[in-house]
Amino acid sequence: MKKMMLVYGALLLAFFTYVFMYRLEDKRSSAWEEGGLHGSMGENYVMVTFQSGMEYWKNILKGFEDGGDALGVTVDYRGSTQYDVEEQITVLEQVIAKKPAGIALSAIDSKALTSTINKAVDAGIPVVLFDADAPDSKAYSFLATNNYNAGVAAADKMAQLLGREGEIGIVTQPGQQNHDDRSEGFRDTLEQRYPGMSVVEIREGKGDTLVAKEAAADMLDKHPDLKGIFVTEASGGMGVADAVIGADKANRITIIGFDTNKGTLDRISDGTIAATIAQGTWNMGYWSLQYLFHLHHGLTVPAPTLGNDVSPLPTRVDTGISIVTRENVNDYYAK
Amino acid sequence: MIIMQNRNRAESWREGMSRWLRFGDLPLRYKLVILFLMVGILPSIALSVLVNWTVNRIVDQQVTSNTIQLIGKVNQTLDNDMENLQNITYLIGFDPRTERFLNGEIQGDKPAVGTEDTGDSGPRTASVKQDNTENYEIKRYLQGFTTLYPEIASILLVNREGEYISNEMYARSPASLTEEEWYREAVLNEGIFTVLGHPAERNVTTHVHYGNEELVSVVRSIVDPDTREVTGAVLIDLKLRAVARAVRDVTLGKSGYLMVAEAGGSSIYAPEDSIIPSIPPSWFPEEDSGALIREVNGERLQLIYGTSSFTGWRTIGVFPTSETVYEVREIRFYMICFLFVVCLFGVAASYTLSQSISRPIWQLMSFMQKAESGDLTTRYWGNRQDEVGMLGRSFNRMLLQIRKLMKLSELREKQKREAELRSLQAHIKPHFLYNTLDTIHWMARKKGADDVSDLVESLSRLFRIGLSKGDDIIPMSDEWTHISSYLQIQKTRYRDRLQVEMELSPEAEKLYVLKLLLQPIVENAIYHGIKARRGPGRIVIKAQVNGDVLLLSVQDNGAGMSSDRLEALRKQLADPVTAMEATPGEGLGGSRSYGMLNVQARIKLTFGDEYGITIDSTENEGTTVVITHPLVHAVPSSSDHDGRDRL
Repeated sequence: MKKMMLVYGALLLAFFTYVFMYRLEDKRSSAWEEGGLHGSMGENYVMVTFQSGMEYWKNILKGFEDGGDALGVTVDYRGSTQYDVEEQITVLEQVIAKKPAGIALSAIDSKALTSTINKAVDAGIPVVLFDADAPDSKAYSFLATNNYNAGVAAADKMAQLLGREGEIGIVTQPGQQNHDDRSEGFRDTLEQRYPGMSVVEIREGKGDTLVAKEAAADMLDKHPDLKGIFVTEASGGMGVADAVIGADKANRITIIGFDTNKGTLDRISDGTIAATIAQGTWNMGYWSLQYLFHLHHGLTVPAPTLGNDVSPLPTRVDTGISIVTRENVNDYYAK
Repeated sequence: MIIMQNRNRAESWREGMSRWLRFGDLPLRYKLVILFLMVGILPSIALSVLVNWTVNRIVDQQVTSNTIQLIGKVNQTLDNDMENLQNITYLIGFDPRTERFLNGEIQGDKPAVGTEDTGDSGPRTASVKQDNTENYEIKRYLQGFTTLYPEIASILLVNREGEYISNEMYARSPASLTEEEWYREAVLNEGIFTVLGHPAERNVTTHVHYGNEELVSVVRSIVDPDTREVTGAVLIDLKLRAVARAVRDVTLGKSGYLMVAEAGGSSIYAPEDSIIPSIPPSWFPEEDSGALIREVNGERLQLIYGTSSFTGWRTIGVFPTSETVYEVREIRFYMICFLFVVCLFGVAASYTLSQSISRPIWQLMSFMQKAESGDLTTRYWGNRQDEVGMLGRSFNRMLLQIRKLMKLSELREKQKREAELRSLQAHIKPHFLYNTLDTIHWMARKKGADDVSDLVESLSRLFRIGLSKGDDIIPMSDEWTHISSYLQIQKTRYRDRLQVEMELSPEAEKLYVLKLLLQPIVENAIYHGIKARRGPGRIVIKAQVNGDVLLLSVQDNGAGMSSDRLEALRKQLADPVTAMEATPGEGLGGSRSYGMLNVQARIKLTFGDEYGITIDSTENEGTTVVITHPLVHAVPSSSDHDGRDRL
């Protein structure tokens, strides 16, 4: 019987050793999946913009894609092809219908899109906004340039360049929150700080080079004493530059643009555009995805919270700006 | 030396043989344990090995074929993507504005537009003013493609002057784009869509910071249909994500993955944690798809690959073979668990079973050993109903039987000795009597009393033969003389009442018989047959050989006996020894049966049960007694006889 027990003991010992080794190996072979945040391939995060082919989005999309790669999830890019509220709503509806893990949205029109955004949030799809806000919506967070501050910065730069006096025109996209904010920041600053300066006209550029060009040309005709033009987005900046060149007023009209596309940078290099406001576009995409990921996995408390919890996720994030002039323009060209 | 070795080998062989043979000498218990373990565990192990092997093989096949299918699908997706790009290049080529740009009618951007020509933008402004609209339109047109296909990073249209139009790309340095490697490649392929792989060392870049390894670029030159001259090229950068999307979602087994490599071997896409960064194309045979195993950095890898004919890319599934497919590993795990359970049960079962079989046998054996050493009182205790129990009970019965037989043989021995002593005693007295009778005989003859002399002579002869020097077996002639003398004496007594007929066959005369066989029978016939009868009686005595026995018959026509009496007598005759014990003390001839039983006993003890007395009788008609005696042709020599002679 003793011998028997010995055999049993040896057998059991061998067995448990085997099971232990097996589990150990199991852990080891699956080790590479662990470590840090990691999503699944099935998670699909969608970035929705408007005028989706526009170069401006590409950097944000790059950030969004990089975020997706970092977390091991898939990302999609959708958007209205035109500058068209209805189309963006349609696209957004389509995206919601596919039940993605999260949506990062740049709202073409804050009011028109609010109900659709709410619909997505109610359906359990986390939504964060970037670049252009929809303040009344239930979207969890807004990551963008603080456009008012950007407008303030633009105004300060304009004042610095013009010696604090002169007539200024604005080419913008009225109705779009971010552009409105930029214009507002710009105008407020001129009014409050620089009494020698005044905004004489605000024109719609529709984010299109040609429209902006015509608007600027028209403005130049109407206001021969115009000293400077502030354009709230990139495509318009190039249009305005073209208009200034067309009116043979290059280097006499101070243009401050927005964003750093190639055309704008080239115009800064040749001096047609005096300065432009560079946004932290990559940040917008990258952190949008990070926020969506955290929201999707319940890793954070979405704001606004019902209780007294302090939400770790800020409702507004300033992704920062920098002013590009001829001195530092080379840094903004792609390497 | 060789002989020595041979001898050693032979010895070791013999040793092995004897060891094997010694297996037969193992205790039953070990044999049973070995048997059960072999029956229980060996098949389990064999089964497990077989199942494991089969599952491995099948899963391996399945994985390979599935992976090849999967790779086929992935390749198809990639081909589709590439075909889309090809279509886009055609679509761009079809556009009339493109044609005009390529012909130089629309001014494109030139390299070196960048930082150098600052200040003197004056000369350019006019042309810019003119052409910008159409240039812009083309850019919008190109941008439309990236709107529809977000996976396209950028599109560049370049004419043979080196001017270009792009939605996003621009030249980095003043060097002409026509000098670029990709442009030359496009020209070389004359209108054929070419997949270039990751871009490297190009003069074009985009504002968005996609790294070279994040892009796959394709190019197609546009050929003038009339002159067959290359008028320009379309360069499209595809985000690697488009490729990765088709490949990345695929996980093979637990840690296998897919990678895509160019025909040249450098990888287009590989996961971040890939085991091998690039695979030399020399590894792959000519076939479009297949599987092979290679060792990389000491790790064996299984590579399953499929080649796309459109792009020339190879999609390769990479698995470490050490960590086969996970499911198989799991099956093996459960198999080994099963084996362990079988072992646990098997060991316990074989132990108990072998115990339960061998222990009772061992017990029985120890009982038997006790009995063997002489203790016949030992018994097997146990009420098992199996073979061992039965064996035990048989053993007990056998011991009983042995004891009984031993007692019986003891008794027989005692009786024989008693009988011998008694006859010895009987011999001593007659000697003296015989001598006296002889004296009387001679005295009677002297005095002329012939009848007395005859009677005494008969009596003397009777005694002489009765003694017969102590021999048990005497010649038949002596026995015959003896019974004749006896009858003569009786005749003297009964005179005419007794008639005697004697018949001795010549071959019977030469034989030997036990002595004093006939006298008790004849005595019985006279006393119980003739004497009890009225008037003269007749006794017929015959001795003849019948086959291989000697038959001695004594027939009288006396009173006979009742059937009950006959039955009783026969019963006594069947077991003469016991019957004699039951009637002790009675002298010779006292009881009617005692003499006969004595004869019967002597015959049976001497010759065995097939010989002896048979008796037949009818009341008032007479009795026939037949003695069956073996044919004895010579006196068996015995040392005892000399001893007895001296008496």
